[in-house]
Amino acid sequence: MTALTRPIRRLLGQTAPAIEAAPATRTAEPIAEASPTVDAATSTIGIDIAESDPLLAYLQSAPGPVDLARLELESPAVTALRDAGVALIVPLVSQGELIGTLNLGPRLSEQDYSTDDRRLLTTLAAQAAPAIRVAQLVREQAHEAAERERMEQEMRVATLIQQQFLPRELPSLPQWQIAAYYGPARAVGGDFYDFIEMPGGRLGIAVGDVTDKGVPAALVMARTHSILRAEASRSDSPGEILARANALLEPEMPARMFVTCLFAILEPETGRIVMANAGHNLPYIRTDDGVIELRATGMPLGLMPDIRYEETEGVIAPGSNVLLYSDGLVEAHDVTQQMYGFPRLREAMTVDDAGSELLDRLLETLHEFTGADWEQEDDITLVTLRRASGVSDQTGEAPTMTSAFSIPGEEGNERLAMDRVGGAVADLGISPARLERLKTAVSEATMNAIEYGSQGRADVPVDVEVEATPDAVIVRITDRALSGAVPEDAETPDIDLKLAGAQKARGWGLFLIQNMVDSMDVTTDGSTQTVTLTMARKEPTDG
Amino acid sequence: MNATSVALDRSGPVATMRIAGDITSSSEAELMAAYTQAVDGGAPAIVLDFRGLEYMNSGGIGLLVTLLVRAQRGGIRLLASGLSEHYREILALTRLDEAIEIHEDEAAAIAAVKV
Repeated sequence: MTALTRPIRRLLGQTAPAIEAAPATRTAEPIAEASPTVDAATSTIGIDIAESDPLLAYLQSAPGPVDLARLELESPAVTALRDAGVALIVPLVSQGELIGTLNLGPRLSEQDYSTDDRRLLTTLAAQAAPAIRVAQLVREQAHEAAERERMEQEMRVATLIQQQFLPRELPSLPQWQIAAYYGPARAVGGDFYDFIEMPGGRLGIAVGDVTDKGVPAALVMARTHSILRAEASRSDSPGEILARANALLEPEMPARMFVTCLFAILEPETGRIVMANAGHNLPYIRTDDGVIELRATGMPLGLMPDIRYEETEGVIAPGSNVLLYSDGLVEAHDVTQQMYGFPRLREAMTVDDAGSELLDRLLETLHEFTGADWEQEDDITLVTLRRASGVSDQTGEAPTMTSAFSIPGEEGNERLAMDRVGGAVADLGISPARLERLKTAVSEATMNAIEYGSQGRADVPVDVEVEATPDAVIVRITDRALSGAVPEDAETPDIDLKLAGAQKARGWGLFLIQNMVDSMDVTTDGSTQTVTLTMARKEPTDG
Repeated sequence: MNATSVALDRSGPVATMRIAGDITSSSEAELMAAYTQAVDGGAPAIVLDFRGLEYMNSGGIGLLVTLLVRAQRGGIRLLASGLSEHYREILALTRLDEAIEIHEDEAAAIAAVKV
């Protein structure tokens, strides 16, 4: 019944061009000659027919034109049509489905419609109905295609906004290893994280999640991001920062949207951490005594005015790990609709990971859990802090860091990967020329990952991880190996052969990568392939 | 991704294709159209000026090779100018610099044709 009513409503409303060929007309002549001098001849009548109106069932099975004056039917639609001056209704039925009507006013001659008129109208309706149905289907398809395109476009915009506000580089603090991962879902959610330098060498850390997806969520995320930054410059109390952010966000928050956010301030030298929480997941701290949650409660941002946020304080001992994260991790489902969940997360945290191993292992356990064909439902954000164990002083050593992110596997995004890696290693003292080389290698390797690993699909991500050891920068680019292994270039590209037409013009990718960095290794485990690029941080002094 | 733009200058006997933005495999149409126009205008030599180049990848290098093949067949001399140190290094590495003469700037490239 719904299927039947939908086209009818559209036909009688103002939207369907089909009605323009089927106007209510007061001319006595067949509708094709509707006189342009009669205004009514070209007007549509806006009558909404209820789904339950008996007229619809009647028209569906009517053998031909229906005389409204003689129709005895308890129907609001019939009354409305009569009031609009309709005398005769010709049902348009295609494949047993009522797809519209031709509505005619009384003949101008004031005589009734003749048998000939009715026969002509019946023939016309029989021929017009399938054509109109086809036109309706075409229009529906075009509409659906446009809608899909619009959504794709919106996702691209949301991704762009999102990427714009994620930190381009990670803070480097002596004795601390900080790693972050952001993996967007196909319909980009509103996850964010931020590191804010604060007076006295302290570090502000924000992790948050905007409800809703797409552009609206991305815009609220952008706004929250800048409010938190501004408030962090005015206060050194996480509770106060969240309370002020809430006061600013609440009046302007779109309906049914809010932001969960955890804000922590870390004193790197002492390991003291103070945090407040606006409805976000609680951070986990792993110590030698076990895994604990740092508890603090508070309403999400933007829900109601005048909220106070309690503060919790803790000390992160040397050798401890801290994890801040978003829902996307714990709420990831496997093929059997089982959830990753907190117990698994806790379990994964019990191992004593050094450096950025915790982040790597969490992602590994997640991928093991979800399997290869996983469609990520929500954004996933992970931020890990590791306080180096022991008292060994690293002063004098080059700073180390790890950064990880994902990009949608769509052509052109290699530039995103290249720029983010460039930003992440900008402070490591690598010479500009070598930095350019690293960027070219990253871009080429990511292009391959997109082309072969993701087959150009935005919903199949490419993961990029940057690690700086005291001696080298290591970039790992992991793809989902949809096309299997990246084919090794069968032949070394040779310009003479190419100019002579003996080799194709393309095929420089792997050659460039190999020549831009110190080493390139490819490993594969069946469902993923990882290209590891290594470049020494110092230029070798001589050959 | 930044769009490619190729502005063709045919004011002198040597045509200059001024390249701005990115050169990737998606730049093929712009690059080839400008080249064809320059050749149709009767230029015996074409300078590719890369001063406005922001990014070139292996796909873009492939396009340069295609351009070189066409130029060699047509007896057209190809020169390049305005390349950053990084891209000069890449052209040297790929030995494209043996097939395309590289000059510091557009004026130097044009002067080299006239000598």
